[in-house]
Amino acid sequence: MWALLRLVSLRHMLGAKLRSLLTLFGVAVGVATLVGISAINRSVLEAFRSTVDTVAGKADLVVTGSAVGMEEALLERVRAMPGITHASGALSVVAAVDGRPGERLYVMGVDFLDDGHFRDLKGVDRDVGALADDLEFLNSTDRLLLGERYARERGLMTGDALQLQTPSGARAFTVHGLLRESGPVKAFGGAVAVMFLPSAQEAFDRGGRLDRLDLAVGEGQDVEAAREALSTALGATLQVERPERRGGSVQKMLLSFQMGLNLGSLVALLVGVFLVYNTVSIGVVQRRREIGTLRALGATRTLIHGLFTLEAALFGVVGTALGLVLGRGLARVALRAVSESISSLYVQVNAQDVEMGPWEVGLGVALGVGGAVFAALRPASLAAAVQPVEALRRDVAVGAGEVSLRSWPVRLGALLLASIYPCTLIPPPAENFPVGGYLAIFATLMGGTLCAPLLLRWLHRLYVRPAEWLLGVPGRLAADNFARAPIRTAVPVAALAIGVAMAVGITGFIRSFQASSEKWINQSVPADLFITSSARLAGVRNNPMAPSMLDGLRTLPGVTDVDMLRMLPHDAFGLRIFVVSVVMDVYHRHARPTVLEGRMPSPEERAQGRVTISENLSRRRNLHPGDTIDLPTPTGARRLTVGAVIVDYTSDQGAVFLERARFTEFFNDDRVDTYELYVEPSQREAVRRAVTERYGKAYDLYVLTHAELRDEALGLIDKAFKVTYAMEALAVLLALLGVVNTLLAAVLDRTREIGLLRAVGAARPHVLGLVAAEAGLMGLSGGLLGTGMGAVLGWTVTHAVGERATGWSFPYQFPLATALGMLGVSAVCAVAAGLFPARRAARLDVVEALAWE
Amino acid sequence: MIHVQDVTRTYRRGRMEVPALRGATLHVPRGQFLSIMGPSGSGKSTLLNLLGALDVPSSGSITLDGREISLLPDAELSRFRRERLGFIFQFFNLLPTLTAVENVVLPQLLSGRPREELLKKAHGLLEAVGLRGRGHHRPDELSGGEMQRVAVARALLGEPALLLADEPTGNLDSKTGAEVLRLIREATRARNLTVVMVTHDPKAAAVGDRLVRLADGVIVGDEAVGAAA
Repeated sequence: MWALLRLVSLRHMLGAKLRSLLTLFGVAVGVATLVGISAINRSVLEAFRSTVDTVAGKADLVVTGSAVGMEEALLERVRAMPGITHASGALSVVAAVDGRPGERLYVMGVDFLDDGHFRDLKGVDRDVGALADDLEFLNSTDRLLLGERYARERGLMTGDALQLQTPSGARAFTVHGLLRESGPVKAFGGAVAVMFLPSAQEAFDRGGRLDRLDLAVGEGQDVEAAREALSTALGATLQVERPERRGGSVQKMLLSFQMGLNLGSLVALLVGVFLVYNTVSIGVVQRRREIGTLRALGATRTLIHGLFTLEAALFGVVGTALGLVLGRGLARVALRAVSESISSLYVQVNAQDVEMGPWEVGLGVALGVGGAVFAALRPASLAAAVQPVEALRRDVAVGAGEVSLRSWPVRLGALLLASIYPCTLIPPPAENFPVGGYLAIFATLMGGTLCAPLLLRWLHRLYVRPAEWLLGVPGRLAADNFARAPIRTAVPVAALAIGVAMAVGITGFIRSFQASSEKWINQSVPADLFITSSARLAGVRNNPMAPSMLDGLRTLPGVTDVDMLRMLPHDAFGLRIFVVSVVMDVYHRHARPTVLEGRMPSPEERAQGRVTISENLSRRRNLHPGDTIDLPTPTGARRLTVGAVIVDYTSDQGAVFLERARFTEFFNDDRVDTYELYVEPSQREAVRRAVTERYGKAYDLYVLTHAELRDEALGLIDKAFKVTYAMEALAVLLALLGVVNTLLAAVLDRTREIGLLRAVGAARPHVLGLVAAEAGLMGLSGGLLGTGMGAVLGWTVTHAVGERATGWSFPYQFPLATALGMLGVSAVCAVAAGLFPARRAARLDVVEALAWE
Repeated sequence: MIHVQDVTRTYRRGRMEVPALRGATLHVPRGQFLSIMGPSGSGKSTLLNLLGALDVPSSGSITLDGREISLLPDAELSRFRRERLGFIFQFFNLLPTLTAVENVVLPQLLSGRPREELLKKAHGLLEAVGLRGRGHHRPDELSGGEMQRVAVARALLGEPALLLADEPTGNLDSKTGAEVLRLIREATRARNLTVVMVTHDPKAAAVGDRLVRLADGVIVGDEAVGAAA
């Protein structure tokens, strides 16, 4: 076997260099996207976890409340509890760095007098232990210790100033010293600053508040028992967790986002596997006589099977090795985009670095090598079935294979296509994990692929006349050749179709979502100007502002109404929902939300605790008008009644809407994420200018018009899918390599035929046209099949994945323009890909080609 | 050595059944050089394929050295071909990626015999067939006659009991063809090898000991030729 591999297979691989390289590239890119995305996903989660873990230091338990924190007095209460040996409170603020758009610094407020037990801070130029006696540091509200990595990257040194955004506007802070990058200073990608707790509380308007309590239990004590006791004592409004368990809810929240990326990368790998299938199949067909000779000389079927499997495995091994290297590069390039998307949609992360761990290497090897071997299964069986007598035949049939409705792959394909709808009905086994939808996607892609040869036979009939009319004899021959080896042709066509289908499907989903979002923004978010600090949109990244701007804004000429929006990410009902508060009177004067169930509560009902919830929260937790909910708040659990369920796209986890006054009362938080201004149309620009001039610089403000806000929000959706788009483009590129591969083989197989054509008078341009037209037909077929599959896929992704993972419902819209565009792109690109084999065919020497055997 | 008893072979062409061989019976003793002649479609290649265990009869039996080969499973058949048979094809069937000497040793490498020993023997055989110093050339660097000599050396390396040749001179000019035939004749006589050769060429057929004529799938003549006549 090894002798044959070395003597026969390797030499063939080296002989057909271009084909081997295309195949290796296919596997490498497929593996690279897969491991790259996996590494990115892991890196993002680890970045979040490491922030949680490293900040937790040696704590056994961590107590957290809502995003507005908890009362400082709680610390003394917890300290007094039995079994707790150490307790320390801390503040965590992610502050925007003034003058550096998009940059964030993780500021920790810690108590240097009692924090030593939990966190081991080491100074670069200063003894941290001595800070407890450093009055200059303890008494000032603008001094911070900066992580050495961040300081180095920004060229900051002790004594330098740094501007950070606070709720009261931009503030200058002085670097009091640098901290070694160890322990908590490794969190948030090293962009960490540490302040004395009371200073931080004052600087960030968080007086008397803590974001977390770190606790240690006595040695030998059962931590879990302590956790349960504490949890009972503190009530549902506070979470008591072991540090290693934190991050679990974030992981759950990111699951569907990350699954989307994984799916995209799997598609790229699938197309890579198709390339291996293509190459091995071509090898089997072209080497039929050689296989016959080997069999006549005594090689067993098993040996031939093994030989072709090993060839594929070799492609798999080398391709995977290249893919792992390439994947690392790819991950580094895409990390920022993914990290940004997650930071703007879910939770602030600062993933800086991405490494290939054992998981990625294992995954790459398993799927790269395994996929290649799997791809070789059928061609290897075909090779093993070659009869020794074929060695004696001169005319060896090339790739001809009958496709009928009765062949098992077509039947399996039809069965898969029929299972799409039933799959979409499977209920998700876990939150955010719509397995049925994923199965339906798989069934669509595989079913379409397996039925592709049959479809090509039908398409052939469709192509013959137009091709002849357009291109004359070469067109006619191209159409005939296209159908001559339906299975071989089907492989690149199906690969192309998968790329097109993903593009059409994902675009359909995105456009459907955007159309519904746009409608929602127009109806439910109708203000004329939106003012936020440090980010263009309110959500996870903006800096909440003090309410003091209200009076100033109200008095601006042309302003007719001002609403104050607060969107608080909040852990409730096992989800990280948003608690959204507005001034309901203002809101009702302008907004027309789409009510799905119940009716909007009246002022009296609101006072009695009737609230509105989003459609997805209603679905996720089966809540309907009349149901009561216990909303955990820093001031205790609040019993509320659902009054109405409305269409709302604030958060894919869910949202509860509260009157601003009640929110402030429940959460002890009067900050504002967005000032929403209603302005006379003629005064809009003047108001915008006035706001920017008066508050802009101090608060790092963004003032957006309604149209800008809409574009920003819709753009966010596009951004979230940027990496997915890139992967689909890669998949299409790989599929085009398959077209080149197949046509190169077809030209080689038909050398004699091409010679004959030339001998009877076909000119070089005829031959060029013939092969290029064949390529074009492949592209067109891939486009047609892909568009059909994409329509189904879009519907599936919208209803069975999107709807199940987010709880939002929105009608599916077929992206006609994208579909037509992809159809054109795949045909034109395929012709371009076909030019190289076409030129090769056109250059064949007539006499040599005729003598070719 | 070879017993062919009432052997038929029918092929399907679409819905039609085409009989290629219709009840052939033949006995070939050890050491005999048998030539088979007949027009195209007479069934001579079918008979050769059946003798070479490349194909199985539709009915009847073929016994080689007392073993009924039509009953052997594929793996056994493969081993049988490797160890007991040598093939010479009309189109040489050398693997284009291998050198002459690698082509010669290939079937025996499949048997797992040590490479060094095989290479030494292969060089000796190449020398014997007049290809001294050509062992490291690939097929596309050899002439037709040289390629067929490589094929002869390949067939002989495994010391087979039976050598099957399918139009071994069909693709060669008459002078080269005669040389290759002389080579086969001498090599097999020295080793007491049984040879079955299919040919169109009466001159080639006359090199053997016996000539069987086929027409329409039936044996129509069986005579001694050459020195044996």
